[in-house]
Amino acid sequence: MAILETKNLSKIYNPDTVPVHALRDVSITIDKGEFTAVRGPSGSGKTTLLNMLGGLDRPSKGAVYVDGKEITNMKDSDLIDFRLRNIGFVFQHYNLIPVFTARENVSFIMLLQNRSKEEIRKRADSLLEQVGLGSKKDSRPVQMSGGEQQRVAVARALASEPMFILADEPTANLDTAAAMNLLDIMEKMNRDQNVTFVFSTHDQRVIDRARRVITMVDGAIHKDEEKVSP
Amino acid sequence: MTISWRNIWRHPGRSGVLLASIIAGLWAGVMIIGLMNGMFLQRMDYLIDSEITHAQVHHPEFLTEGYSRLYIPNHEEIDEWLRDDTRVRSHTLRTITDGMLQSPVKTSGTRIRGVDPERERETTTFHENIIDGEYLDSSIRNPVLVGKRLADTHNLELGDRVVLTFEDVNNELTSAAFNIAGIFESASPQYDDANVFVRSEDMIRLIADRPIFHEIAMMLHNEDDAEAVTAGLNERFSGIEAQTWYELSPEIRMMVEFGGAMLFIITMIIMLALAFGILNTMLMALFERMREIGVLLSIGMSRIRIFLMIMLEATILTLTGALAGIGLAWLSIRKLSESGINLEMFATGLAEIGWDHMIYPFVEGSEFVTIVILVITITILATLYPAVKAMRINPLEAARDT
Ligand SMILES: Nc1ncnc2c1ncn2[C@@H]1O[C@H](COP(=O)(O)OP(=O)(O)OP(=O)(O)O)[C@@H](O)[C@H]1O
Ligand SMILES: [Mg+2]
Repeated sequence: MAILETKNLSKIYNPDTVPVHALRDVSITIDKGEFTAVRGPSGSGKTTLLNMLGGLDRPSKGAVYVDGKEITNMKDSDLIDFRLRNIGFVFQHYNLIPVFTARENVSFIMLLQNRSKEEIRKRADSLLEQVGLGSKKDSRPVQMSGGEQQRVAVARALASEPMFILADEPTANLDTAAAMNLLDIMEKMNRDQNVTFVFSTHDQRVIDRARRVITMVDGAIHKDEEKVSP
Repeated sequence: MTISWRNIWRHPGRSGVLLASIIAGLWAGVMIIGLMNGMFLQRMDYLIDSEITHAQVHHPEFLTEGYSRLYIPNHEEIDEWLRDDTRVRSHTLRTITDGMLQSPVKTSGTRIRGVDPERERETTTFHENIIDGEYLDSSIRNPVLVGKRLADTHNLELGDRVVLTFEDVNNELTSAAFNIAGIFESASPQYDDANVFVRSEDMIRLIADRPIFHEIAMMLHNEDDAEAVTAGLNERFSGIEAQTWYELSPEIRMMVEFGGAMLFIITMIIMLALAFGILNTMLMALFERMREIGVLLSIGMSRIRIFLMIMLEATILTLTGALAGIGLAWLSIRKLSESGINLEMFATGLAEIGWDHMIYPFVEGSEFVTIVILVITITILATLYPAVKAMRINPLEAARDT
C-alpha cells in the first residue's frame, strides 16, 4: 500500500536568475513499512526531495501524495497541521529545543496535538526507554552527546504517531558507534512497529542496512534497488 | 506556555539587563513624575494659600490698570452674597493701588495692598511670612509691612518711617507716612520686592470718603467649586469680574501646562527607551533562534502559536520588570512623601525663584494606571514586529546546513 507517492516532481531554484534544476521529473512510491535510503553525490537533490516529501517546500512542478491525499496544493496553515499529525522529522543537526529536557522535547509535539497529559507522559517515557535514554529523561540537550540527542530526535519524530519518518542525513554528525546504535533503534522500530523510514545519506554503512536504496544523480532517479531480505 | 518562560532564562544576562533597565527606567521615571508633581503642587498650594486664594473679584480693568478709581462698585452686596454661600470657607476684602515708597535712601515703585488684618489672617497664610516684627494688627499708627529685599535695599529697620505716595479715587496724588511694623519674606523675592502691606482702613482714609475695595479674595471648602462660584458671581453681579486661581495666576497656568508637557515628554522618553530595549532584545533572540523556529514549524507548531510564543516571552519579561519598577517607585514615593526630599544641596537656585527645597513627591493612582497601560501597549507594539517576523520564518531554516 503506497503511503507516499510523487508524480513528475520537479524543483527549480532561482527560476528567474540562475536556474538550478534540483529535481527533474521524480516519480516514486513508498509503501508502508519501508526502510529506504536515498543516496547520491552532494548536490544531487536528496535534501530537496525529502523537503518535498515532508511538505516543507513546494515543487515547481508535479505533486506529492500522502496516503492518497495531495499535499502540494494545501494552504500553508493546513500543511503545518498536516505535518503535525502525519509526518515525523529527524534532522542532521538534531535540532532539539535547547531549553527543554529530553522528556519535554518528546512531549512537546504531543502537546501540540492536544493529547491528554497522562497519555503524553506515558508515551514520552516509553519512547525514551525505547531509544535507550530512560536514565536521561530530565537532561537538557547540552548535557547529552550527539548520538543521544539524535535518539531523542527519533523519539520526538515517533511521538506524534506519524505515517512515516523523514530523516535527512541523520548520522552525518555521528561517530560510527553512535550511528550504528541509531540505525539499530530505527531498524527495531521498523521491524517491531512497522514504522516507515525514508532517510538520505552519504554513508555506506547506513546504505548497507537499508532495504531499498534510491540513487539520485543530478536531480533525477538513477537507480532504485530493492534488497531481498535475508 | 512554558517554552516562553524557559526562553527568557536562556540568556539570563541579556534578559537580566533588559529587566534591570526596565526596572531602573520606570523607577526613575515615576520618581521624576512624583517629584514634579510634588514641586508643582507645593508651589501651587503655597501661591493659593498665601496670596491668590481660590477665586477673586475685581473691577474688570483693575488687574491691568491698577488705578484706585477702578474699585468694586458693589462690594457690600458681594460681601453678603459670599457670606451666605456655603461653599465659601472665608473671604476678605482688599484695597489696592500702585504707588511709590520713599525712604531716606531712595524711591521705589510698589503695589500697596491694604488688607483687613483679621479677615486676611482667616483667609490666607500670608501672616506666616513675617520674619521680623509684627503683623498689621500691631498697635502702632499706620503700620506697613515690607519685604526683606526691599527693606535691605532701602536700609530699613523695624520702626523706620517711609512715605507712601499714590493716587486717590479722583486721580489726585496723596501721600502719608507709614511705620514699619514687620518684615516679610514670602517664597517669591520678586513678589517681596513689588508689594507692601498696610491696613485697608488706613488706606481708605487717604483715597476715598467711604470704604472702597479693589479685590475680594475667597477660599473655598473645595477648590473644585471655584469655577461654579465665579460663574455664579459673574452672572449675578455686573461691573465686576470674578476669576478662579487658574485664571488669575500666570505662574500656576504655566506650571500646569509646563508640568503636563514635561510629564508627556518624560513618559515618551521612557516609553521610547522601553520600546527600543524590547525590540532589540527580541530581534536578537529571534535571530539566534531562526533554526529553532524553523524546527517548530517543521514539526507542526502553527504560526499563530509561534507568534504568541514570542509575544508572551516579551510580555512576561517586560511586565515583570515594569511591575517591579513601578512597585519599587510606589514604595519609594510612599516613604518620601512623608519624609520629603531635600533638594537644597542640588538646587540652591530653587529658593531664589521662590520654590521650596523640601519636596514631598506624590503620584496619583490614575498616573500609575496610565503608566502600566502604556507599558503594556508599548510592549505589545514593540514585540509585534519581531513576532510577525518569527511567524514568517521558513520551515526550511531547520534543515539548513551550519
Ligand atoms: N535554497 C536553494 N536555492 C538555490 N539552490 C538550491 C537551494 N537548495 C538547494 N539548491 C541546489 O539544488 C541542488 C540540490 O541540492 P540538495 O541540497 O537537494 O542536494 P543534496 O543531495 O542534499 O546535497 P548534499 O549531499 O550536499 O546535502 C544543488 O545544486 C543545490 O545547490
Ligand atoms: Mg542534503
